[in-house]
Amino acid sequence: MFYKSIHYKIRLFFLIVLIIFIAVIIKILYIQVIKYNFVKNKASDLWSRNLPIEGNRGKIYDRNLDIMVDNLTTTSLVLIPGQIKNKKETTKKLSKILNVSYDEMKKHVYKKTSIQRVHPIGRKLPFDTADRINNLNIEGVYLLKEAKRNYIYNKNLCHVIGYVGIDNQGLSGLELKYDKYLKSKYGSIKYYSDAKGNKLKLSEIYEKPVDGFNLKLTINNKLQRVIERELNNAWTKYNPEHALVIAMNPNNGEILAMSSRPNFDPSNYKNYTEEEINRNLPIWMNYEPGSTFKIITLAASLEEDTINLKKDKFYDPGSISVAGRKIKCWKDGGHGEETFMQVVENSCNPGFVVMGQKLGKNRLFRYIRNFGFGEKTNIDLNGEATGILFSIDKVGPLELATTSFGQGVSVTPIQQITAVSAAINGGYLYKPYIVKSILEPETNTEIKKFDKTLIRKVISKKTSKEVRIALENVVKNGTGRNAFIDGYRIGGKTGTAQKVKDGKYLSGNYIVSFIGFMPVDNPKIVLYVAIDNPKGVIQYGGTVSAPIARNIFEDAINILNIKKDNNAKEKKYQAWDIKYIKVPNLINKRFSKVKYKLNNFDIEYTGNGDKIIYQSPKKGERVPTGSKIRIMLGN
Amino acid sequence: MKKIDKKLLITIITLSLIGIIMIYSSSNIWAKYKYNDEFRFLKLQSIFFLISLFALKIVSNIDYKYYYNNSKKIIFICFILLILVLIPGIGSVRNGSRSWFGIGGLGIQPSEFMKLAIIIFISKYLSDYPKSVKNIKKEIIPLLFIPALSFLLIMLQPDLGTGVIILVTSISLLFVSGVDFSFFTKIGILGLFGFTGLIVIAPYRIKRILAFLNPWVDPLGSGFQSIQSLFAIGPSGLLGTGFGNSVQKHFYLPEPQTDFIFSIITEELGIFGSIIICFLFSYIIYRSLKIAINSKDLFSKYLVFGITFQLAFQTLLNLSVVVGLVPITGVTLPFLSYGGSSLITTMISIGIILNISKQ
Repeated sequence: MFYKSIHYKIRLFFLIVLIIFIAVIIKILYIQVIKYNFVKNKASDLWSRNLPIEGNRGKIYDRNLDIMVDNLTTTSLVLIPGQIKNKKETTKKLSKILNVSYDEMKKHVYKKTSIQRVHPIGRKLPFDTADRINNLNIEGVYLLKEAKRNYIYNKNLCHVIGYVGIDNQGLSGLELKYDKYLKSKYGSIKYYSDAKGNKLKLSEIYEKPVDGFNLKLTINNKLQRVIERELNNAWTKYNPEHALVIAMNPNNGEILAMSSRPNFDPSNYKNYTEEEINRNLPIWMNYEPGSTFKIITLAASLEEDTINLKKDKFYDPGSISVAGRKIKCWKDGGHGEETFMQVVENSCNPGFVVMGQKLGKNRLFRYIRNFGFGEKTNIDLNGEATGILFSIDKVGPLELATTSFGQGVSVTPIQQITAVSAAINGGYLYKPYIVKSILEPETNTEIKKFDKTLIRKVISKKTSKEVRIALENVVKNGTGRNAFIDGYRIGGKTGTAQKVKDGKYLSGNYIVSFIGFMPVDNPKIVLYVAIDNPKGVIQYGGTVSAPIARNIFEDAINILNIKKDNNAKEKKYQAWDIKYIKVPNLINKRFSKVKYKLNNFDIEYTGNGDKIIYQSPKKGERVPTGSKIRIMLGN
Repeated sequence: MKKIDKKLLITIITLSLIGIIMIYSSSNIWAKYKYNDEFRFLKLQSIFFLISLFALKIVSNIDYKYYYNNSKKIIFICFILLILVLIPGIGSVRNGSRSWFGIGGLGIQPSEFMKLAIIIFISKYLSDYPKSVKNIKKEIIPLLFIPALSFLLIMLQPDLGTGVIILVTSISLLFVSGVDFSFFTKIGILGLFGFTGLIVIAPYRIKRILAFLNPWVDPLGSGFQSIQSLFAIGPSGLLGTGFGNSVQKHFYLPEPQTDFIFSIITEELGIFGSIIICFLFSYIIYRSLKIAINSKDLFSKYLVFGITFQLAFQTLLNLSVVVGLVPITGVTLPFLSYGGSSLITTMISIGIILNISKQ
């Protein structure tokens, strides 16, 4: 009986033992089946080491798929300290090849980490350096592919494109704005290692890096190179403070070319000041536009039918009195009796004051706002300014008068070219843009396309046509003559804006500009040129900016395939032929007094001072208008 | 006279041989790194195996009545040894416990012998006075002073795992002998207090328990071994990585040939490997318990049961730790974990069972 009780308890014990064995087996099944993924992933993180491989950052093309920015393949040094057997020797050899101190290299080789990227001394190595490291054949020393941004045209389009940092991250311009498209995804070589970092003989997993998307811009690279060339020339010739050019397709808001000075080299952006790098002047700068703004007053007046250019006449005595203040015309003595067409051709300030007065402040300011002034154009670039307009309730007669000819307002170049495009394209205000499409990297298939964006209709087609004809006359007969090209119909308007500093106008310091388009009957390009404070030249838009615009137009004819117009040719002779004028006596006169009378000549002067001591040709000689007169200044 | 239980003997030899092979597979990377000899632990364990077989042969020929007659002497010697081992200079420290006599890799652990001596002593007492189980106050509690004293001595080393095994084995013998059930509930409550006391003395133990509940809280500290064991068992899947292909033995699991060898076995041989191991252990326990039931006298029943209980308890505790059913305790897996002292004492105790099997 006693034994039976013992035997019963022994059997009971065996049952418990079996249950626990089964529990152990069930727990193993639970780990291997239900928790499999969780444990496997955690373990894989522990076991695997990733050697990162960088993909290519997206390329940037112009509108014709001309490559403007691509990548150079370089290599970077990566160490796996756990795999390096002879650390001292390795440090010695690497420091010699990379030309750094032993201690500097030691920091990387002896670092207690699974993977050490030798930053920055081992980044983006030149080919021969990489080759020498490769020949060392040391286990644990790896060279990984890394892409280096290649700005093919160096400084061209620099502010628009922007630049990238050492890790190919976009830091400004399109590189920043479109970074999420351009940037690539890292791939890797994944291998298993033991707890000491040695490679295990398990299969490696290659994860392909993903290249970034390519950008196709609205930019025409050929035209861009032309404006860069012209800006370089202007920069050397006039030594201005700033200079900028924008070319736009007026029919959809595409930016065809855009640049400014000072500029920078995106590959070496560290050598430049913050201002030089970050200020994309065509969208950032804002200033009094001067006479180019008169196009808006003109378009509003024509649309509202407050003037008739051919029939209505105006007498300009050289100034106009508004609210007890005398507003002078830029021309001493005024333009006398003139039609409003001539007011436009001559850029006559009192004439435009009258146009503004006829419109009244409400209508004029409504058009100004409708043309997009006072708000950002929302071009797809960072760093755009808004500009400043009078608030309507603060506009008195004087403010209305000055605004009519472009003073007392502050606008950006991009606002001006966008507004003028609307004035001449039939009245459609389009949003300017610079990225045409986003392309898939392998095949360049469009994955996202940007189209023209109509903001509003501003004026009628008829009015727009009248504006074009009036502006053509400015180039044919008026202040824009220097932009004229034989056989082509070009319209435009000059501007000479006095700069304001601390609420006061600076004397002898102007931003001279020209805004023009061609061909007049079907505009394909609008061009805005502005030079800030050119030296050694009379500061007029007609003398400085119009010739630059002319040079650009000449190249644009080929680039944009603009046909010669036979009607235009005859008009040239009408405007040019007859005007021969007598050279006045300038000797012993003060240059500051007489220079505004010399608008019909191309003045080139040398020397310092204000007194004219020499002139060529001499007085009384008859020369065609626009001829060069050389003078020498002294005291 | 019957013949010795050959089935038990063959199973034990099979399991020990599997142990030698798996010790090689799990230790070769460490051995190569540390001793520049990937076969080091294979060689040593093979030597231990041969010695232990020899010991088994001898012990299986010693009549078990010899232990009955000398139980007091045996336990006295074991107490002397347990005291001596605590003296610095005589006993040497291994894994934080002053528990060894000997130099280098070779030596003996007196607590291992105490495990056996306690079983012999209690078995004799219970078989001599079968009615004592009725008188808990006067008979059983004084009897428990012996295991309690050895527990205290072992805790001075300190070696909680072995100490607990001795206590639990003693209690299991009382259970089988028919001590009233209410006694065990009291012991259970006492054990709970003792457990709390142990945590108060050494707060690292609470960390172990917390780490057991959620090892990811401190993956590099208290949860480290649990996680590394999981990483061996989980990712290899049901089929395992195949013999020799463990990833975790590459320095991730420290000393994979000792306490955590079962996780490497599961990693390499999969669920089927671990089921086979569990089956072999169950079979050994089954055969041993059968010998206990079939034996003629009370002393041999208690002796065989006590030895088998100890073997089963140690095995199940180790497996439960490895698969994460209980907190980490630091108990080796009989027959499979690397270690000479453990293998030899296990074989000696099996030798005693075999001797009883042929009576």
